[in-house]
Amino acid sequence: MTKATNIAPDDQSYWAIVRRQFRKNRSAVWSLRLLALLFLIGMSADFIANEKPYYCVINGKSYFPVLKGAGVDLGIARWPTELSNVTWRELKYEKVIWAPIPYYPTNLDKKNTDFVSPMAHQDVPSAHWKHYLGTDNLGRDVLSGMIHGTRIAMLVGVISMSVALIIGLFFGSLAGYFGDTKLKTTWAGIILNLFFLFFAFYYAFAARSYTLSDAIAVSFFGFLMQFFISLIIFILVMTIPYFISGFLRTRSYGGAEVEVPVDILISRMIEIIESVPSFLLILSIVAIVEKPSIYIVMVIIGLTRWTGIARYVRGELLKVRSLEYVEAAQALGFPERRIILRHTLPNSLTSVLISVSFGVASAILTESGLSFLGIGVPPEQVTWGSMLSLARGVPQAWWVAIFPGFAIFITVTIFNLIGDGLTDALDPRLKQ
Amino acid sequence: MFVYILKRILFFIPTILIISVLTFALSKMTPGDPVRLALGNQDQGEGSGGASDKLAGEKAYLSMAEDLGLNLPAFYVQISNAATPDTLYKYIKKPERDNLERLISMYGNWPQIEQYYSSIKNVEYAMLDVKQDSTTFEKGRKIKENCAKLYQEYKDRNVTGYIDQIVASSDSLTPLANVHAQATLLQNSYLGIKASATPAKTYIPSLKWYGFNNQYHRWLSNFLKLDFGFSYADKRPVWSKMKDALPWTLLLNLIAIIISYIIAIPLGVTSATRKNSIGDRVSTVSLFVLYSLPSFWIGTMFIIFFTTPEYGMNFFPNFGVGDVTSDMGWWDIFTERAYHMILPVICLTYGSWAFLSRMMRGGMLSVLRQDYIRTARAKGVPDRKVVWKHAFRNSLIPMITIFSGLFPAAISGSFIIENIYSIPGMGQLAFTALMGRDYPIVFTVMMFSAFLTLVGTLISDILYAVADPRISFDK
Repeated sequence: MTKATNIAPDDQSYWAIVRRQFRKNRSAVWSLRLLALLFLIGMSADFIANEKPYYCVINGKSYFPVLKGAGVDLGIARWPTELSNVTWRELKYEKVIWAPIPYYPTNLDKKNTDFVSPMAHQDVPSAHWKHYLGTDNLGRDVLSGMIHGTRIAMLVGVISMSVALIIGLFFGSLAGYFGDTKLKTTWAGIILNLFFLFFAFYYAFAARSYTLSDAIAVSFFGFLMQFFISLIIFILVMTIPYFISGFLRTRSYGGAEVEVPVDILISRMIEIIESVPSFLLILSIVAIVEKPSIYIVMVIIGLTRWTGIARYVRGELLKVRSLEYVEAAQALGFPERRIILRHTLPNSLTSVLISVSFGVASAILTESGLSFLGIGVPPEQVTWGSMLSLARGVPQAWWVAIFPGFAIFITVTIFNLIGDGLTDALDPRLKQ
Repeated sequence: MFVYILKRILFFIPTILIISVLTFALSKMTPGDPVRLALGNQDQGEGSGGASDKLAGEKAYLSMAEDLGLNLPAFYVQISNAATPDTLYKYIKKPERDNLERLISMYGNWPQIEQYYSSIKNVEYAMLDVKQDSTTFEKGRKIKENCAKLYQEYKDRNVTGYIDQIVASSDSLTPLANVHAQATLLQNSYLGIKASATPAKTYIPSLKWYGFNNQYHRWLSNFLKLDFGFSYADKRPVWSKMKDALPWTLLLNLIAIIISYIIAIPLGVTSATRKNSIGDRVSTVSLFVLYSLPSFWIGTMFIIFFTTPEYGMNFFPNFGVGDVTSDMGWWDIFTERAYHMILPVICLTYGSWAFLSRMMRGGMLSVLRQDYIRTARAKGVPDRKVVWKHAFRNSLIPMITIFSGLFPAAISGSFIIENIYSIPGMGQLAFTALMGRDYPIVFTVMMFSAFLTLVGTLISDILYAVADPRISFDK
């Protein structure tokens, strides 16, 4: 409510109108709040559910193991020798403050294996150690798995949609801005580009294929780094024909001008990609990766989901392209790049948001479906989908079936509701 | 219209070609040795170690590789570096070929690498001629192990280590004298690779043209002749396995789609005509909830609560499609099948039903806002007629376009549902194949569903024109 007063009612900027419309939709607003909560849980999962204590005193020395653990994960700290490879539960403490849920999702509570119900008697030292949502077959705490699963789900949304956004925005804006007639080049330019495309592909990807595949076997982020270097090489090589053909053009060599049908090419590409059943495609790609990792799954989901965004951007840009302000920008002599990036793209971004929020919902569904089937996710990784799959064949373990499934459901609903609210808010017919 | 359809069908060709290249590339990137998988992973009698055994094993391997067409180059062209010879595809064993490529990318001198490769072979063959007894057995085993490792190792430190071990093990034993001679040759040839390395050559790209006699060409032309190869798992033709599975998937999804259309259309229309009534609000909210419910969760919940005696609600059978014996009447068969199908069909239906109802409501609402509806009302056309005759037909158009999108969604949806309920359909087939690395099936199913999706799009385009006479594809 405090925010509402910040915007004067006569503020007629586009975003202000959208915001006002969105706020009218109460379920969408509540979804946004819930989403913020889920994000918070996901980000602070280590602080909510952790086997390590917040603070403890051992042999007169005090430690902050949770914080230390976060540092170790980030690679900026190291465990002191007396604390590396310890079972935190069994240490002798002089003073200790535990996390609210003193279990990590991978901890095996050997006294409570084989699906102990939250209602049943649990073999735990005190109420603090109770498994509030029961345990699974190996004695892992379900509640802790739920909390850490939130992090995975949020990461799925963020990573897969960032990948999809980058690719989708790129192709969508190319197709939408240039259309079929606006990109003009010469025959010499086309030949030069194709020729250098071969070299660019070779030096960026073919020659570096071992570097890339070695990096992916070590760590995902190392791979990203290497992939980024490959991209830079690719772009650098492709600038050569750009300058050469530009130079030839000023000297009016290179043959007649031809229009490159960018829109047709990209639209056909999108059609082709959409005709491959994405779930099966994801499954077969994931099955090929020798060392399964949840991040690879996320990226692959993003790689198959960009077409919707590209379509949206293309459609919006085709609409915007003929508007007067673009003409004005062209008349002022701004380069194409600047017109796309600074002027037209921001105006089509709002509608992309709709596509993104529905996309996150479907990405989370896909990921949990994959982990439910046990494909692409390392066996020790606990996600909502993998927890749910444990319930199959064990009918008495209702808690393993209900809670993770409900979490997936709520998250998907939230994103769908937000997408719905955005659709309504951006609908010009509802503007008053 | 006819020209348009023809154009669409022509567009099929590049699409199918690109999808087939994608599928083929994926199938080439799969880990593991396809020949070994096809042979059923049996060991080739390495332990017993007779020369004839080893040769028989290699022969079986080669003939299987030829059957699978793996003795051909993979594709029409190949982009590689100048150091790679264009006959590298003749090294059929995938792990060994991969390793050779690695070595080439490290040292760039193929003649030396080829010589090194054949000297590993020579050590192995020399080893085969050695009579096994208590003195040579242990050392012989070590030599064989190290040779096997060498085929798949490129890291300098490890390679040197393995070769040193081979040389050391074959040293100072008269029965192994010949092996020792070969081992020193091997050592020299490896040192030769390193001494005459030309890494600069690996930075020169080269494009090699192999012509039409390649694996992809063969695979695709077989595919067009409906010969999809055979399953690694049970050696049955892929086509016959698909023929058994396809009816189940089609049946399930057709029932689900038909039911969802039948319920969704009247529901959407009525809730649009009574906009903002309590009934409309309740149905909008509950449809939204249904739409977001993950089907695999509901499927699992059904299994847990309705198919087991645990909670006193054992109403349905928990998996399969039921047993049908030949002496059962058609009614018995029908009830048995239907009884097993109820839960999976519900799981497959509700999502698309909710989606369709929302679309129908939205479409109807936008049509009802049109001027001609107001005109119809103003001239006194009864409400029923306005809704069902004037508005309804026009709001059907988006429902038709969705149809094509429902199909691929249904295929991926039934992938999980069939797996949960153990229905022997395409999804289950693809899943078990994927788990067992039975790739001919996986990639055939993928091609097949891509084709179905294309056909679905075409059909919905045609229906589009039929439903709305204003739409014409001829200019």
